[in-house]
Order: sequence, then structure tokens, then C-alpha cells
Amino acid sequence: MARGKDKKKRKLEKKQEGDDVPKKVPHTLESLREKDETMPANADTEEQEEAQKDMELDEMATYFENAYEPKVLITYSDNPHTKTRTFGRELMKIIPNSLSRYRQRSSVKRIVQSAIREDMTDVIIVNENQKQPNGFLLIHLPSGPTAHFRLSSCKITKEMNKDHREITNHRPEVVLNNFSTRLGLTVGRMLGALFHFEPQFKGRRVVTFHNQRDYIFFRHHRYEFTKEGKRAKLCELGPRFTLKLISLQQGTFDSKHGDYEWIIAGRRHQMETSRRRFFL
Amino acid sequence: MQIKEDKEIDLFVASRIGSFKHIKYHTDPSKNSKKCIENLVDIKTLQKDDNITCMVWGSPEQTDILIGRKTQQIQVYNTLHGFTKSYTADFGSGDVVGLGRHGRRLVAAVSEGVVQVYGKKENVTYNVGKIDRMKIFDGDTTMFATGGEENDLKVYRIGEAEPLFVAKNLPHDWLQLRKSVWVSDLTFLSPSELAVCSRHGYIRLYDTRAQRRPVCNVECDKMAATCISKGFDERQVFVGFGRGQLHQVDLRRGHLDKGYKGAAGAITGVVISHGSVISCSLDRHLRVHRADTKELLYKQYLTSKLSCVLVQTASSTPMKDVQPEMKEELEMKEETALEDLESASEKPQKRSDGEQSQEIDAKKMKPSTEGSTVADDEDAIISLLRSTERQKKKRDKMKKNKKAKSVFHNA
Repeated sequence: MARGKDKKKRKLEKKQEGDDVPKKVPHTLESLREKDETMPANADTEEQEEAQKDMELDEMATYFENAYEPKVLITYSDNPHTKTRTFGRELMKIIPNSLSRYRQRSSVKRIVQSAIREDMTDVIIVNENQKQPNGFLLIHLPSGPTAHFRLSSCKITKEMNKDHREITNHRPEVVLNNFSTRLGLTVGRMLGALFHFEPQFKGRRVVTFHNQRDYIFFRHHRYEFTKEGKRAKLCELGPRFTLKLISLQQGTFDSKHGDYEWIIAGRRHQMETSRRRFFL
Repeated sequence: MQIKEDKEIDLFVASRIGSFKHIKYHTDPSKNSKKCIENLVDIKTLQKDDNITCMVWGSPEQTDILIGRKTQQIQVYNTLHGFTKSYTADFGSGDVVGLGRHGRRLVAAVSEGVVQVYGKKENVTYNVGKIDRMKIFDGDTTMFATGGEENDLKVYRIGEAEPLFVAKNLPHDWLQLRKSVWVSDLTFLSPSELAVCSRHGYIRLYDTRAQRRPVCNVECDKMAATCISKGFDERQVFVGFGRGQLHQVDLRRGHLDKGYKGAAGAITGVVISHGSVISCSLDRHLRVHRADTKELLYKQYLTSKLSCVLVQTASSTPMKDVQPEMKEELEMKEETALEDLESASEKPQKRSDGEQSQEIDAKKMKPSTEGSTVADDEDAIISLLRSTERQKKKRDKMKKNKKAKSVFHNA
């Protein structure tokens, strides 16, 4: 169809039709997303029940019953450079009850063991390549699962021209957006379980994990309600980064002998059959 | 496409949360639907550690299923009558990793490394060291084999305290370093031959008559193998891996043969039946591949992480809830004959009689449906022709519409 020529005509037609015609939903990759059978929203009641039970019995269930306070260890690959160190320190400020330690050439399996001994509930390992943080390994303790993300477009507060001192010590609220498939729900639950279950609303701090086309965008804001109380103004605090799931493994980290729940390496062409297919 | 005779295969699938399902898989893809799946355990009753770790057939007629749970509970499920008996394996700690029947006696193994043969008067136990798997040979139930991490294959005979056969590791490598052992699953190929797969990435064939070292060793570049099953050929096995690969392994030539694609998570169970390979995976899907062409025939999402799969070949099980099947049949027969309609109208009356009569009904009905499919052949062709005609008409209409539109736009 020749676009330019018809545009005026179409506009005219639209005007004549008036406002009572319902607004059309724009065709984007998300709105035309291929139907995923693992989405609980698409399932019948029996399946929904089972999915619910499945989530009630998984490893993160005790967190969602508010049974424990999360305690997170943040560590790095060996010899991290300034950016990665700062990034880790800022993560530490965002996640309540977390501590950052240098790795001291210890193996991941040993880190996991000592973290379990110290009653940690999660371990984050930030990998670095060419002075840029590029990997994000999230291990839920004591019995898994382990999620491995690719970390990209990471910006620390300084790069965003912000001040890290603006980040207060209040426990933040957590927003998990658009995690819809069964795999997405597991990943969302894992990310949610990093933060304390009881936010301090006084701090007006909110942490967002927004999933769009399988990329998880992290943003960190302070909000303020307008005088009418209908809207909120946002002030970004930083850092910001993007995660993409590479693999989800059952149990704690064991890349050689472990069982993977989901892994994309080696089968990208089989799995990424369409641009409209998303896994999270 | 060729019209083939429809076969039904009964599959039983166990999951990590403890649910247990029966699936009727039809080789005719149009008949597969969600109605062919039924839950055999009430999901609401499941507890934290109900994880099913082991599931095997309890009898050669394949009517009893033995289920081992993480809580060390062992249940017997009869395909017709439901759960009948339950035992507790409190003779050792760990998960139930192997089950079987020796005559009427139950044999169970826990991961700590204790195998117990239940008896009327006294129970006999064997200490075998930490194990990942115990299996009983179907052909001769007096024999069982065990293996685990750093605990190589051992074959025992019930009644003898000492093992019949103890495997010996391969010689050290060229750096004089020991090769590590981790038996993750094993299977009997014949009374004297066993195949073993390992998380260290090898598949080995042992011949107990020949030597203690494996007669065939297949390395598969460090892929962690999780499960193994007999093949169609005597020198062939199917092996599933922790990263989602599924391969046929040729033990004659000693290499990985065919790969069956599709899984996104670890394969946890493989079985074979009627020329197809059935596998269940941690990505919560059950898959059926054709063995020779590697084609994916069937894939079903089953809501929870699957741990074991069984196929029923010796007998068949009717669905508990027969109504949906009946409906389908009714629809199919609507056009055929009055007689069928009458019989169909009788069925609902019988349905109210009780569950048992339903099952009998379903059994009785099977031959009749098979007969009907043969008779329906011509009808099917006619209907096919009709549908093609309809499609043609539709296409013509579409074309006309398009033309009209284009005229409008050009003007």
C-alpha cells in the first residue's frame, strides 16, 4: 500500500467516523505475542491450581510466607575494577541487609558453602569483562535455584550524574513487572526474594524490575505524590542496568554436573523460532 | 497424509511436587487434547516433601506402580483400583532411589546406601554405600544393581550377602590421574549386560561374564548424563543429559548416534515404546519423538517439574473420567447411523450406575470404535473432499474481496 498518498484520505475518514469508534490497539511485538501455554493466565482452573501449588512448594516459598529476613552476599569476579566495585557497593545500598565482599580467589561452590554457613539467603556474583560488569549470577540458598543473567548497559550513579548519597537506608518497595510465563514467575520470585518483605514506605524508595521482550530492566526511584494525590513524581536515583536470562539451574551452582531447568545455550535457533516469542 | 491406525499409549508421569498423572497419548495427533490427561493425586493435599523420586512398574503385567517419595513413603498404585498400600522406608536416611518387586516382596533402596528386601517375617538389608540409583532386572527379579557418586556399579543377588559383580574403574589416564566415577543411572540389557551413564560424561557397557572393566566406554564430552533407557536394539541405549540433550547411543561403534531436540531443561526420564522415544524434562514438558526420524510427534505442558515417566505396554488403562471421550465419539458418530445414535443414548443411562460399570463400558466400547474407524474411511474421504471444496470457495471469495479493496484504494 502506498502510504503517503493514502494518509490524508485515511485521516479524513477517521475524522468523519468521529470519536465513538474504539481506539485500536497498536500492533507491537508484545501485543502480538505468541500464545504461551505455560502462562497461568491462559490455563484452566485445574492447571492454575497446580501452578499455584507448584509455587507454594518451591524454594522461595518460605520467603513469601515471610518466614525469614533475606541476607544477601554480593561478590565479584577476581580483581574487579572501579566500576564493578562501585556497582556492587551501590547494589549493597539498594538491597537491605546485604554485604559486599571481595572474592579472594575462592570458587563459587566454596562461596556458596560458606554463605550457607553464615546463614545467607542469597548470593550475587557480578562478573566483569573489559572493566565493564557483564554477568550477574544469582544463587538462592540453601538449595537453589541458580539464575545466570547477562548484565548489560550498566550505569552507575556517577555516570548518570547522580549522587549515591541520595540513596537512603530505608527498605525499598519492589515492583516486578510483566513476569508472565511460568519461567518468568520463577525468575521474578527469585529477584523479589532479595529484598525485605516489609518495605519502609517513609523512604519512598522503589526498585523496579521491568520485563520487556525478555530483557529485565532495573530502575531505582524516589517518588513523591502530587498535591492531588493522583500521580507520583519520580526521581531516578540510579544505578540502572539490564538483565537477560541465560540459564536457570536447579540446586546451587554446579554448571558441570547440575540439572538445568531452562537453558538457551546451544539451542537458540530451535527456541527462538519467532520474533514474537518470549520466554519470561 | 496417510491415514494410519490410531494407537493409544498409556503414560504415567510423576513430578517434583508430588503430583502423578495419567496421559493417554494417541498416535493420531488430532485426537490428543487436554482431555487425555488426568490427575491421579489430589493436588490440594500435596505437602512440602512429597517430591516423587522414583517410580517403577510393580508387576510384569504392568498394573501396579510403585512410587517412592522424598518423605520415604512408598506407595503402591493399581491402575484400576487406585492407591492400595503404602510402606515407609525408615531403614536409612535420604530419598528413595530404587524400587522393585521380587516375587511378592518389595525391594527398596534409599540414597544413604541401604537396600531392603521386605519379608513377611524379617526384612533383609544390604549396605552398598551411597547410591544414586538401584534397579532390579525384570527378567530375573533376584538380581539388582546399584551405583552412585564414587560408588561404581555393583550387582547383587538377593539371598547372597556378597555382590555378584563389582565393576572396576578404567585405568588411570596418561597423566596417571584417577578417572572419577559417578553412576547417575543404570539399566539391565540382559542378565549379564548392564549399561551405565554418568554425570562425569560417559556411558559404559559392562558384561559380567567377560571382565570387571567396561567392555565399551563412550565419552560424551563432559555432558552430565542423567537417565538411561534400553533401546530397540540390544546394543543401543537412550541417554538424557542435564542440559537438555537426548541421544541414542550406539554401544557397538561407541559413539553418540541420533540427537532428539526440543527440550529446554534437563531430561529426567526416558522410556521407549512403539518406535517412539518418550522423555520428560525439568522444563515441565513431556515429549514424544519418533525414534528413527527424530521428529517431534507430541509435546505437552504438564504444569510441574517432571521427575519420572512410565509407559504401559502390556495392558491398557481406561481414563477415570470417561465422559469427554464419549462426547467425542458421539460427535463423530452423529452423522453415521441411527443405530449408533441409539446405543449412544443408552450409554448415559449406564453411566449413572457407578464408576466400575463405567470402566467396563469403556473397555467394551473399544472394539466398536476401532470397527467404526474402518467403516468411516470412505466417509472421511468424502468429508475431506467437501472441506477442500469449501476452502476453494473461501479462497475465491477472499480474492474477490481483495480485488474490490484494491480498486477502492486505487480510485
